[in-house]
Amino acid sequence: MSSRALVIGAGPAGLTSAYELAKLGVSSTIIEADEQVGGLSRTVNYKGYRFDIGGHRFFSKVPLINELWREMLSEDFLLRPRLSRIHYRGHFFDYPLKAANALAGLGPIEAFLVMLSYSKAKLFPHSEETNLEQWVSNRFGQRLYEIFFKTYTEKVWGIPCNEISADWAAQRIKNLSLKEAIRNALLGAGKSADGEVITTLIEQFHYPRLGPGMMWECCKELLAEKGNETIHGIKVDKIRHRKGRVESVIGHRSNGERVEFDADQFISSMPLRRLIQSLDPLPPDEVLAAANSLRYRDYLTVVLMAKREHVFPDNWIYIHSPEVKMGRIQNYKNWSPEMVPDPSRSSLGLEYFLWQKDEEWTWSNDRLIDLGIKECAQIGLVEPDEVEDGTVVRMKKAYPVYDHHYQERVDIIRNYLDTLPNLQTIGRNGLHRYNNQDHSMLTGVYAARNIVGEKNDVWAVNTEQDYHEEVRSSETETVSTGYTKTMGDRAVPMPIEPDEAEQIIQTAFAKLDSVALGVAFGVVAGVGLFLATAILLLKGGEFVGPRLGLLRNFLPSYEVTWPGALLGLVEGGLIGFALGFFVASLRNWSMMAYAHLLKRRAETQAAGNVLD
Amino acid sequence: MTTESVTMAGNKRTEEISREVMRIQAGVLAMVCAVLGGLLLFSMTVWLVVKDGPGAGPHLSLLGNYFIGYSVSWGGSVIGLFYGALTGGIVGWVIGTIYNLVVGLRK
Ligand SMILES: Cc1cc2nc3c(=O)[nH]c(=O)nc-3n(C[C@H](O)[C@H](O)[C@H](O)COP(=O)(O)OP(=O)(O)OC[C@H]3O[C@@H](n4cnc5c(N)ncnc54)[C@H](O)[C@@H]3O)c2cc1C
Repeated sequence: MSSRALVIGAGPAGLTSAYELAKLGVSSTIIEADEQVGGLSRTVNYKGYRFDIGGHRFFSKVPLINELWREMLSEDFLLRPRLSRIHYRGHFFDYPLKAANALAGLGPIEAFLVMLSYSKAKLFPHSEETNLEQWVSNRFGQRLYEIFFKTYTEKVWGIPCNEISADWAAQRIKNLSLKEAIRNALLGAGKSADGEVITTLIEQFHYPRLGPGMMWECCKELLAEKGNETIHGIKVDKIRHRKGRVESVIGHRSNGERVEFDADQFISSMPLRRLIQSLDPLPPDEVLAAANSLRYRDYLTVVLMAKREHVFPDNWIYIHSPEVKMGRIQNYKNWSPEMVPDPSRSSLGLEYFLWQKDEEWTWSNDRLIDLGIKECAQIGLVEPDEVEDGTVVRMKKAYPVYDHHYQERVDIIRNYLDTLPNLQTIGRNGLHRYNNQDHSMLTGVYAARNIVGEKNDVWAVNTEQDYHEEVRSSETETVSTGYTKTMGDRAVPMPIEPDEAEQIIQTAFAKLDSVALGVAFGVVAGVGLFLATAILLLKGGEFVGPRLGLLRNFLPSYEVTWPGALLGLVEGGLIGFALGFFVASLRNWSMMAYAHLLKRRAETQAAGNVLD
Repeated sequence: MTTESVTMAGNKRTEEISREVMRIQAGVLAMVCAVLGGLLLFSMTVWLVVKDGPGAGPHLSLLGNYFIGYSVSWGGSVIGLFYGALTGGIVGWVIGTIYNLVVGLRK
């Protein structure tokens, strides 16, 4: 079989790249191992109960992606309120964290200890921030870190927080620049450069009426209408290349039938490790070793159907309590009422984060459902007799792991892949990056555009704070690698007027020149005192200026005489200069302090969302 | 127009928000100082008259040496309003103009 472009994987990244290619007039074929589209973002339908792998919020700061979502789903794209809390030792805490709520829930003694450890972190922070533990405890203190971050994060990642690279948090919480913090404060609750309200998007999110899979089913249909086929049930296991070009991919159907596809261009969203292992001939040992040591965290969800209309009001609850194995619990009907076939029923998705080598991974579905029922009862959510059915979905390679060496390994692989210019790797596992759908999709869009001649760096998506989302621009900037970072998305029109907010910030935070203000104050004070003295002298009288003469208490040797007037000119000038200099410096310093305060606040607020 | 300068020294970032140097609009500063100066002298005078009655404010009335016709009285407060505004306006304008001049010279 042959087509111009071949896309491996019908997850968000692969489908979006095919969709963008179709728009650009390039036909493609999509090969998917599974019987369903959507990848990690699929929706499973079990007896009319629909559920995702986790829960998939649709929110993005990338205008292009928001536009694509609306284009694909239009009115089926619901706006839903967000409610999520943390369950910890029998208590529920608001999430994102709110200081007052957290301290009240912890009780006075624990709250005091938390404050103490917070102060310690502020006074004596870790000098290095290489791992997640240092990163979080520098911001919240060791005690809050242990309560609200450590257990849950370790449940999710299965490795101690001090072995998780700080990149993971930094990528999610992006260090705000001072200017960005001011811009947020200036434009109101967390608006980005294009005016989009980020905070609001955290309080509510979009969700397809029938779950995220609906988006991808729709995308597949739109592609089919334009003649771009999605072929299911073929697992690609060989990528044949020769003389720096990929020539074909070979896959197998579940019945063992071998299928080969030729194309001019190849886009892969399969996991990076698997991609490298599938290359034929294999790459050099160093590259293969790098790929082999990339790790992925696996995931399993136990879905319980309960005979209850309302179980809890949240979309999901983080389960920090160490006594249970589950890490998070979803209430799907709170995502969309149409996720359950009968409004008098609820379906709960209990999420377990595992390695495939873990014992639980191999447990039978019945045993896992029993575990779920037991744990739900243990934390007081539903009684065992309320559960009328259950099912289990296992998802391998749900999370690319950011251990201390992943970046070096990815760099080695990336350098090697650069030698195969007609093969692009995209998406979450394809780039080994902890991307949400939006960034996974964006890499698909860029790969498609690269095929028609653009030079976008897919590896740069979701790495640099100012890349794409927060930068308003249709500028292109050539970077040292020779890539052109295309910052312009069609949804961001070329600004004709310079950014108003930018101008306000530039003007408001422009520095006062301390020397100039010193001179100005000096001249006014010196000349003022000279004139005040001279006027009294000219008026004359028996006692000239007895009161003004009292100034000698402050200005040595000053008196109301002509020489005194000259001395007053000099001394008044000097004091005026010092005052002006001080006023200007103080003003500059306070503006800077204010900017830092805004930044700190914004960072703490953002860091409070790190679990998402 | 400058943007932001970010220097990386280890993990620490020294950031500048704006490298622009502020210019003062002398006319605006003059107006602000005029309003402040006028109101200040007016309210100080009125305060003393209300508090201590006629003949109050022996020290403040010394301003009469410079401001012809000014005294600490009801009528003086209105004259003070005028002189305060005039002086404030001049001071503001001079500060603004000299500041801009020096900034220009130092550029
Ligand atoms: C628990 C959880 C919660 C999440 N929550 C959110 C959220 O709230 N919001 C959000 O935006 N994102 C969320 N995400 C992330 C989101 O699921 C991913 O970003 C997105 O699905 C990645 O898309 P992708 O196309 O890169 O990869 P995938 O979704 O993994 O798709 C890859 C596809 O390629 C196929 N494939 C792989 N190998 C082969 C092969 N050899 N041959 C043929 N086909 C192959 C797979 O079957 C799959 O269909 C969540 C992820 C998880 C695990």
